[in-house]
Order: sequence, then structure tokens, then C-alpha cells
Amino acid sequence: MSRIGRTQLLPTAQVKRSVPTDSVVNFNHSAKRARHPNGTTGSSATAGQLEEIENMTDSAANTQKRANFSALTVASPNGVNKISANATNAKPGSAKKLIIKNFKNKPKLPDNYQERTWEKLREAVVAIQTSKSIRYSLEELYQAVENMCNHKMASTLYANLTELTESHVKANIEQFLAESMDRHIFLKKMNECWQSHCRQMIMIRSIFLYLDRTYVLQNPSISSIWDMGLHLFRLHIVLNNLVQTRSVEGLLMLIEKERQGDTVDRTLLKSLLRMLSDLQIYQEAFEAKFLVATERLYAAEGQRLMNEHDVPEYLAHVDKRLQEENERLLHYLDTSTKWSLIHTVEKQLLSEHITSLLQKGLSGLLDENRTSDLSLLYNLYSRVKNGLIELCLNFNSYIKKKGRTIVIDPEKDKTMVQELLDFKDKMDNIVNTCFHRNEKFGNSLKEAFEAFINQRANKPAELIAKFVDCKLRAGNKEATEEELERLLDKIMVLFRFIHGKDVFEAFYKKDLAKRLLVGKSASVDAEKSMLSKLKQECGGGFTSKLEGMFKDMELSKDINIAFKQYAGNLQNEFSASNLDLTVSILTMGYWPTYPVLEVTLPAEMVQYQDVFNKFYLGKHSGRKLQWQPTLGHCVLKAWFNQGNKELQVSLFQALVLILFNDTDNLSLEDIKAATNIEDGELRRTLQSLACGKARVLQKNPRGRDVADNDRFVFNAEFTNKLFRIKINQIQMKETNEEQKATEERVYQDRQYQIDAAIVRIMKMRKTLTHNLLISELYNQLKFPVKPADLKKRIESLIDRDYMERDKDNANQYNYVA
Amino acid sequence: MAESVQDNVERGDGDNVKTENFFTLKKWNAVAMWSWDVECDTCAICRVQVMDACLRCQAESKKDFYGKQDCVVVWGECNHSFHYCCMSLWVKQNNRCPLCQQEWSIQRMGK
Repeated sequence: MSRIGRTQLLPTAQVKRSVPTDSVVNFNHSAKRARHPNGTTGSSATAGQLEEIENMTDSAANTQKRANFSALTVASPNGVNKISANATNAKPGSAKKLIIKNFKNKPKLPDNYQERTWEKLREAVVAIQTSKSIRYSLEELYQAVENMCNHKMASTLYANLTELTESHVKANIEQFLAESMDRHIFLKKMNECWQSHCRQMIMIRSIFLYLDRTYVLQNPSISSIWDMGLHLFRLHIVLNNLVQTRSVEGLLMLIEKERQGDTVDRTLLKSLLRMLSDLQIYQEAFEAKFLVATERLYAAEGQRLMNEHDVPEYLAHVDKRLQEENERLLHYLDTSTKWSLIHTVEKQLLSEHITSLLQKGLSGLLDENRTSDLSLLYNLYSRVKNGLIELCLNFNSYIKKKGRTIVIDPEKDKTMVQELLDFKDKMDNIVNTCFHRNEKFGNSLKEAFEAFINQRANKPAELIAKFVDCKLRAGNKEATEEELERLLDKIMVLFRFIHGKDVFEAFYKKDLAKRLLVGKSASVDAEKSMLSKLKQECGGGFTSKLEGMFKDMELSKDINIAFKQYAGNLQNEFSASNLDLTVSILTMGYWPTYPVLEVTLPAEMVQYQDVFNKFYLGKHSGRKLQWQPTLGHCVLKAWFNQGNKELQVSLFQALVLILFNDTDNLSLEDIKAATNIEDGELRRTLQSLACGKARVLQKNPRGRDVADNDRFVFNAEFTNKLFRIKINQIQMKETNEEQKATEERVYQDRQYQIDAAIVRIMKMRKTLTHNLLISELYNQLKFPVKPADLKKRIESLIDRDYMERDKDNANQYNYVA
Repeated sequence: MAESVQDNVERGDGDNVKTENFFTLKKWNAVAMWSWDVECDTCAICRVQVMDACLRCQAESKKDFYGKQDCVVVWGECNHSFHYCCMSLWVKQNNRCPLCQQEWSIQRMGK
């Protein structure tokens, strides 16, 4: 193409260079006159036009056209070449001047010029319309148009052309009006007609380009030749009711077929839809009906598949459908349809089923941890309005429901904390991987955990404390330090959800006391780390007592070292004895309170106790010591027939065993009298010694439980492969009691907090009705309370003159300063 | 060794005379709780238990080297006891025991 363009350009460029003044030169040849005043524009227009012609016609027509042009260059008798030859030759030759004079008479057009030229053009247009070869060269035709325009015949030319096109388009309609026609064939015909119309109009426009660029441009009310063609096509063919319905229905049928899985001719669809949008009736004629059809199809499909498929299948199907529709948009639909189409699909397949989908399938997906399906669910739901809100709500209620089953069942107490941890991990994972770490879901997760974990008062807090105890206790070798640390962090997350933090503290403290006193703590670092976590979470006030317990243990070490020195310096038989006494000195108030049981100690122990008392109180004046026999434990050397052993026993066990040094046969009553141990405690102690694994005593009669008149004898034949033997205490009942006691203490502490809150509120408000006071109390108190308990506290404060009932209104309280 | 023990035991059984104990105490890990030796366990000035730090010290959370709050108890000649911090503020206004109105003089201090 560009080669032809250049060869065409060359002569004109020469003309320009060789001719000094444009105005003097006047050509006889009418075809050249128009081009001359602005030679460059003329030539470039030609080149431009050529390009267009080349572009728009297909390669079949190409050769023919090229032949035309070559004919043009060779045969056109425009004389340009000759003139330029003259001009160049004249210069070097002689000093002769070439003077070009104006014609004496103004040149005139031939009379029937307009009719003749139009006839020529008409012939060409008809040839184009009927797909015959054109008799004239395109250049010639173009120039004919150009000339007519320049001779003020443009409007007639335009009118003629319009008329000609109109009649041709009108004639085309017949083929579409046949009685019955296969839709597919109809569409194909339509497409053909449209394609040829376009092709023809492009060709015609190329020829009449000059008209388009001058006359049409100068008159804004007149549409371009291309637009005129479109307008006529629209008016006479597509706006015909029958044709329009047939074609739109045909298109819809094809699309529906494709939606049902058939392959259809996408290029045909694309071409026809392009036609509709080019004719600007895409929206009104097609889009509305298309969307209605889409809606109907997917509404039915949604209903049907909701019943037939389970949720993951359905979601996958929706995803597939959306992809297909997007592809449809990409391949043939107009992009302006995108929003409404996708929206329609989403609405019919998703929005309509938002809640039923979630109710039907969400819990299953979450139960089975199907992350990929959940991701899909999230992605789909994020497309529709309220989708994520609904999803979030259902996620929330799932957690609450599921969590409740973990928490509420006393049978599952043993595994509750581990299950909670696992559940939290799972849900966290889902929020992170499937829900894109959406903050709303994260918050909802927290809210749900907090809600269900507090549905059962106190027990979760207690079990979490116990769980921590179990992990921090020595002998728990299942985890490395880092694992333990991570576990503690996770537990702290659960702890955060708990309202009754005081319950946790009470149980934690009790267990910590046990760990410290028995020396059973796995690692001081882990203990300290847990303590600092608690401190971070609840503040120094929460942990100051726990910290105090650690301090007590450290101080006790120093005290014991000092005591050893002190005892070593004592000059009596006491120092000769080789009993090793270590005392843990606890600060009252830091530690849990233990029941004080007075027991009778052997003289040797009493002596030791006295020495220590004297030593300690001498060091710390103003204090008193309360010995705690329940917490003491001992190592006994024991001589059996099969060799000697070391027994690790509680103080109570030791006291009972030592009695057998004097006599080897004792009744329950004897032992009770001699030791003064409380009855239940004593029975458990004896049970552990005579009915447990290591039976250093024998019970008569034999049996699992200790009855009133049982007798006990020293089991001299006791054997055990170990040298050091720990005789476990029996604790079953004890824990139950302890647990109740701990809870009781928590409730007592809470009473003070309730009192304080009531007084605070009343002091601020001076007068308040009962209901308002209660609601304010619920806002302030961080642990669960029953209204009845609050009432009791209010009564108590009225009794103590902190407040009074209003004389006129029994429902109102007044603060008493 | 084992035999000799057995002998002893048998003899002990037979004669009902103790020559060697079956059990001897080797080690005793005892536990004792300390508290201030006071008649009334709340400080009459700040109404906080004397075992805890007084309100002022709790608020400032003063700690000594061991982390124990340095808020000891003081006994007057009248044997009434208060937080030392509370009492030292009190005597600036009125050098009498708040409970019995006797002239205040320190009998002993807790440590």
C-alpha cells in the first residue's frame, strides 16, 4: 500500500516545487483545477483516501483496484508530467522567460455536466450495491465528486445519493419478511445483509469522501454518509417490527442454547449485536428483553438447583455461571450490559438464596473445614448487597451454637479447654484464609466467643485455670518451651473472653500455690511468663498477690538457710537429731486460705516447730505464725523385711505411720485419738496407705473403704522395686470440696465489689430508682451476677445506713452521706 | 543389713519392746503462714486490712527490694495497731490513738 501511495505522491510534489506562483498557473483540464490552489492537501487527501479504500476492501478486490490505479497514472492526461519537464528543462538552457497568461474567456462547464457526472456516479453506486465491477476508476469517481462539490452541486449530490441508498435499502427488506423462516437462517441472512450494507457504505463513502468532508462538515444538521446509511438501514429494515422481533428472538434463542451448553456461532452473535449497537437500538430492542430472559432462566435455575444440589456444588455452579456470563460479555455482548447482566445473575442465583444457602450449608462447610468452598462462598457473597453481612451473622451464630455445645455439657469438661483452643484455631484459620482477614469477621468471631464462653458461669474460667496448671506442672514433657509459650498465648486469648476473671484468678492461685509448695512447677521461666501475660491483660492489681507468692518462696529459701545456721549453733540434743526441717513461710492474704486443722505432732516435731517459731519471731517482731499441717509433707525412712525404703508422704500420712513405731496394730479410733486428724481426712489418709498402690499398712478386714472398726497393722513384708516411693494422697472428694470453697471465696469477694459499686453509683446520683440502679450495676460489674444477689446487697447496705428507701416511693433509693 | 533389720523387727514383735523404729523422719517440709499479731485485722484509719498495704501505698504501689509493699504495722502502748503510714500522718494532727484517745507512743513496729 505505502509503495503505491509514494508513487502517487511523487508527481504532485514535483508540481509544487517546479511552479513558482500558484495563482498564475491555470490548467485547462478541469480535473486538476480544484486540486491546484492547495496542491499538498489535495494529494494527501488522495493518499488518505487510497489508504481507506485499501483498508476496507478485502484482498479479493485488491488486485482489480491496483490495476485501476496503475491505469490512472499511465493514462491520465493531466499534463503534469509534461509541465514539470518543461520547467526543469528551461532553467539551465537559456534565459527565455515562460509567461503564462490567463485565459481570455472564463472556462465554463459543459451544460449537462451535472447530469452526466451524476449518471456516472449513480452507475458506480448501483454497481457497488449490486456487487458488480465498476466501470470507472475510483480516482475518476472521486474527482467527479470533488468537482461537483466545488461547483456547488453538493446538496443535490447528497440528496441524490440518499435517495439512491434509500431505495436500495428498502429493496432489501423483502427477504426478511417471508412467512416462516428458520431462525438460524434468518440470522445468517440478516448478518449477510448487514455486512454487505456496511461494505457497500464504506465503498460509497470512500468515493464520496470529499462530499463527507466538505458539505456534510459545513452543515451540522446533515449526517455523514455513513450515518445516513445506518439511519436508512435502521429505519427500513431493523425498525420493521417483524424483522426486529425475529432477529432479537433469534439472538436470544442462540444465547439460551449456549447457556444450555451447546456451542453456537459466536461470530454471528457478535456481528449482529454489534449491528444493534451500531444502529443504537441495542438497549431498547435487545438489552431489556435479554435481561428479562436471563432473569427468568436463572430464577428457575436457582430454584431448581437449590433443591437438587448441596451447597458447595451450588456455589461452584454459580461461580461457573458468572464466569460464563463474563465470557459472553467479552465475546459478543456490549460492555454496557455488563453491570446489569452480572447483577441479574447475582440477584437470581445468590441474593434470592442468601439466607437459605447459609442455613443449608454454612455449618456443614465450617464443620468440615472446607476452606476452598468457604473462600468461594466469601467471594461470591462479597458480590451481592448484604451478602457479607448475612454471612457474618450466620458465621457468628454458628460459632455461638457450636461453642455452646463445647462449653455447656458437663460431660465434656475434661476436654473443654483443648476443644476451645482447637475450635478457635480453626475459626481463626477460616477468617484468615477464606474471609480475607475481614475485620468484621474477626470482630464477630471475638464477640461470638465471648458470648458463648460466658454462657456457663465460672466453669470455663475454672477449667482454663486447671488447664494452665496441667501445662505448667512438672512432668508435662509433651511440649518444648516455645510450644508451651505459644500455648500460653492461645490460652490468654480464651482468657480474654472470660467475664469472671476473678474465678480464674482464684483457681489459678490455688493451683499455683500447690505447684510452688510441692515444688512441682515445670519451669520458673514459664511461670514468670504466664504471670507477665496476666499482668499485661489485667493489670498489676490482678497479679500483685500472685507475684507475692513467688516472693514468699524466695524469701523462704533465705530464711531456711539462716535457720540452718541458727539450729547448728544451738547447743542441745536438738542439733544432734538429723531431721531436716524446711519451712515455707507464706504471707497471709497472698495465698489461698487453707482450713486450719489442729493435729497432734510427735514430741520431736513439736520441738522443732518451737525452735523455728522462736527463731522466726525473733527475726520478725509483731508477727505470728500459723502452721498449716495440711500442706506439709515428709520423707520417711522405713525398714521393711525386704530392705529399707524412703517414702515420700504427706504430713498426715507421716503422722499415721510414725504411730506404728510404738505398736503395730491400731484401730481407726486409736489413730484418730493419737493424731487428732479430722475424720474424713484420716479415713482418706488410711485408705491411701492401706488400699492404694503402695500398701505399707494392712487393713483388717480387707476392703476398699475404711469403716469405723477397721484395724491396721504394719506391713513388714512390703516390697517395691523402687527405693523412693511416693504414696499418693487420695484427693477425689477433696477437690470437689476445694472447688466449692474456692467458688465460695470468689462469691464473697464479689460481694464487696458489688457493695462498692452500689455505693459509688449512689454517691454520684444521690437518688435512683431500683431499675436504674440495677442497670448501672450491670454496666459496671465485670462478672455475672443474679438480680437476687444484687437485691440482697442493696438490703444489706440499707441496713448499714449507706442508703435508704425513699419515704414516698418504695422503688427509689436515696444515698445517705 | 536387711537381715539385721529383720531380726530387730522379729524381736520387737516378740518382746513388745521397741529397739528400732520402723519409720524415722528424715525430712520435713512444713508450711506456715505469717500474719501481723494484731487484735483487729483492719486498720481503723484507712479501713484496709493490716495484712494489705494501706490505701495510700496501694495507690502508689510502692515496693521494696523484695517486691513486698513496704507498709508495716505499728503497735501503740495501748496495743492498738495501725498501718505505720496511716499512723504517722495521723499523729501530725493529733497525737492520740484514734481508738482509745490515749497519748500515742509506739510500743513496737512490725518487720
